Amino acid sequence: MTARRLDPALLLVAPAVLYLAVVYAVPLGLLLVKSVRMPDGFSLSSFVAFFADPFSWRVLGNTLRIALWTTLVCLLVGYPVAFALARAKGLPQTALLVALILPLSVGVVVKAFAWQILLRRDGLVSGTLVSLGIVDEPMRLLFTETGLVIGAVNVFLPFMVMPLYSVIRQIDPRLMEAAATLGAGPFHAFRRVLLPLTLPGAVAGIAFVFSLSIAMYVIPSLLIGDRFQTLATLTGRSFLFMRNERLGSTTAAVLLAVAIAVVMGSGWLARRMGAAR
Amino acid sequence: MVAFLDIGGAEKRFGAAAVLQGVDLSVAKGEFVSLLGPSGCGKTTLLRIVAGLLAPDRGTVVLDGADILRLPPHKRDVGVVFQNYALFPHLSVAENVAFGLRAHGRPAAETDATVAKFLDLVRMGEFARRPVQMLSGGQQQRVAVARALAVGPKLMLFDEPFSALDRKLRETMQIELRRLLRDLGTTAIFVTHDQDEALVMSDRIAIMNRGAIEQLAAPAEIYESPATAFALDFVGLSTRFEGKVVACAGGTAEIETAAGRLLGKGNYIPGARVTVGVRPERVRVGGALEPGENGVELPLRDAVYLGSKLLLHFDLPEPDRAVAEIGAAGFVLPAAGTRATLRWHFDDTLVFPEAPAP
Repeated sequence: MTARRLDPALLLVAPAVLYLAVVYAVPLGLLLVKSVRMPDGFSLSSFVAFFADPFSWRVLGNTLRIALWTTLVCLLVGYPVAFALARAKGLPQTALLVALILPLSVGVVVKAFAWQILLRRDGLVSGTLVSLGIVDEPMRLLFTETGLVIGAVNVFLPFMVMPLYSVIRQIDPRLMEAAATLGAGPFHAFRRVLLPLTLPGAVAGIAFVFSLSIAMYVIPSLLIGDRFQTLATLTGRSFLFMRNERLGSTTAAVLLAVAIAVVMGSGWLARRMGAAR
Repeated sequence: MVAFLDIGGAEKRFGAAAVLQGVDLSVAKGEFVSLLGPSGCGKTTLLRIVAGLLAPDRGTVVLDGADILRLPPHKRDVGVVFQNYALFPHLSVAENVAFGLRAHGRPAAETDATVAKFLDLVRMGEFARRPVQMLSGGQQQRVAVARALAVGPKLMLFDEPFSALDRKLRETMQIELRRLLRDLGTTAIFVTHDQDEALVMSDRIAIMNRGAIEQLAAPAEIYESPATAFALDFVGLSTRFEGKVVACAGGTAEIETAAGRLLGKGNYIPGARVTVGVRPERVRVGGALEPGENGVELPLRDAVYLGSKLLLHFDLPEPDRAVAEIGAAGFVLPAAGTRATLRWHFDDTLVFPEAPAP
C-alpha cells in the first residue's frame, strides 16, 4: 500500500454508489445488452427495424410532444408559484409548502383515477368550463392528450416548483429594488436580473419534469389508454403483454437516449444563455 | 433656502407601530444631509419612501418641483446605495455599472464611456471585467456607488453603506464619497447610526428618534446646542443630571439634582422635571468656583488616556453621569475615588424638558 489516502468524500458516497450499481446500473446494462444481442451475436438490427417502422416515429412523437407540453405548462404554472413560495412568510408559506409536498404522498395511481373522474364528459372540469362559458357543451377530456397533460402537470408540478423555489429563495429581494432605482422597469428588471438568476432552477426543473414525463407509464395508461402509445407504455407492453423483450429493450434504450440528450442539452443551453447575457 | 427635495408630513405605520409620525424634511440642491438615529427610529423607512420602495400612509414627497409620490421607483431619478450593496451577482463590475444606463436606453458608446468614467472616479477602473463576487467589501461598495451615480440621478440615497466595513476603511470611504459627491454637485441623503460618520460627512444632520426628527442642523450646532436630551445623548459625550426645577426667574432656572443645585437658562414652572447637560470639553476640573459657573463635587471613577487628552469619568448613580475632557499634558491624575470639583460656565449649561414618555 502506498501512503496515498482515500478521499473521505468517496466513503460518504460509497453506500449510494453501491446501491445504485446493484439495483440500477447492472439491470439497466443487462437491458441495454438485450437490445443489441441477437441469437447470432451482437447487432443493431433491432434499432434499424424500430426506426424503419412509421409507428415507432409516431410513438416517439407522442412521447416528446406530451413531455414538452407537460414541461412547458409546469414551467409557466410553477414559476409564479415558486415566487409566491419564496416571498411568502410564516403560515402562508407553510400552507403553500404543504399544499405542494403533501400530494406527493398520494400515489400516482390514486391521482390518475381521480383525474379519470374529473376529466369525464360529466366531470368537474367539463362542468366548470361550461358554466364559465368557455365551452358551449360538455366535453370529454379523458382519453385525450389535453387530459393527459393536465393529469401529468398535476403530478409533476412539485418537481418544477422545488428547484425554482430553492434558487429564488437565495435571491436577495434588494436586487429588484436596486434594479428599479437604477431606472429599470419591471419587465427590464425581470429579464436582466431575475430571469438569469433563476435560470439554473428553471433548467433543473425542466430536466426533472421532462425526464419524468417522457418516462411516465401509469398516468398515460389510465388517462389516455392503449390507443395512444409512448415509449414508456410501449416498453411496458412489450415486456408485460407482448413478451417481446427485444422491442422492449430497444424502446427502453431509445427512451434513455432521449432523456439523456434532453437533460444534457438543457444544461448546455443554460450555460450558453448564461454566457450570452 | 429653496428646497430641492421636500418631504412633508410623512407618516407610516406597520401594524400597531408608528414608524414615522409626521416627518418634514427639506434638502437644498447639492446638500448632504444625514439621517442619524438608533435602529428602529424610522430613518431607513423614510429613505425607502423617498426612493419609492415604500408608500407612506400620509405625506408628500416633492423632488425638483415635481410631486414624485405616485411615481414608481424606476421613474423617480433617485439613486440608492444599499447597506448590503445589492450588486447583481451574475454581472461583472462594468456590467453592474452599465445596468442603469442600458435600462435608460443610452447608446452603447456613451454607456461604455460613462462606465469607464465612473469606475475611474471610484478607482475601480482596473477591476472592470471582474465578477463582483470576487471583490472585497470596500470594492463592492465603490462599485455600488459608481452604479448608482452613473445614471446621473437627481438625488442619491445611502442606507448605512459603510456599516459592514472596518473602521479604517470606513473613514477613508467617508472622505472619498464626500469629495466625490461635492465634485459632482450631487444632492444626497445619508442614513447612519454612526454619529462620527454623520459629523464628518454632513452639511446638516437630522437627529431622528421614534419616528420623528428631533433636530435638523449643521454638525457644530447639533453638538453645541442640542435641541433635546436625546440629541445631547446621541451625539458626542456629555455630562447629564436629571433634576427638578425649584425656582425660575428672569429666564434662569434653579434646578435641584443629585449632585447639587445648578443654574440653567430657560423658563420652567417650578416642579418641572428637566435634564441638565454639559459637553465634556466645557468642564474644568479643580480650582475654585468662579462667578457665573455651575459646580459639583464628585469622586473620580476612572480616567481614559486618549493621547492628546484625558477623559475623566466621575461616579454618579444612573442615569446621571459626569465626564470631563482635559488636556493630557502636565495634568497630575488624582487617584480613583478622589473627590474633585467640576465647574463649567452657566452659558454652557444645557437644559431640556423631560422627554415625553414613549
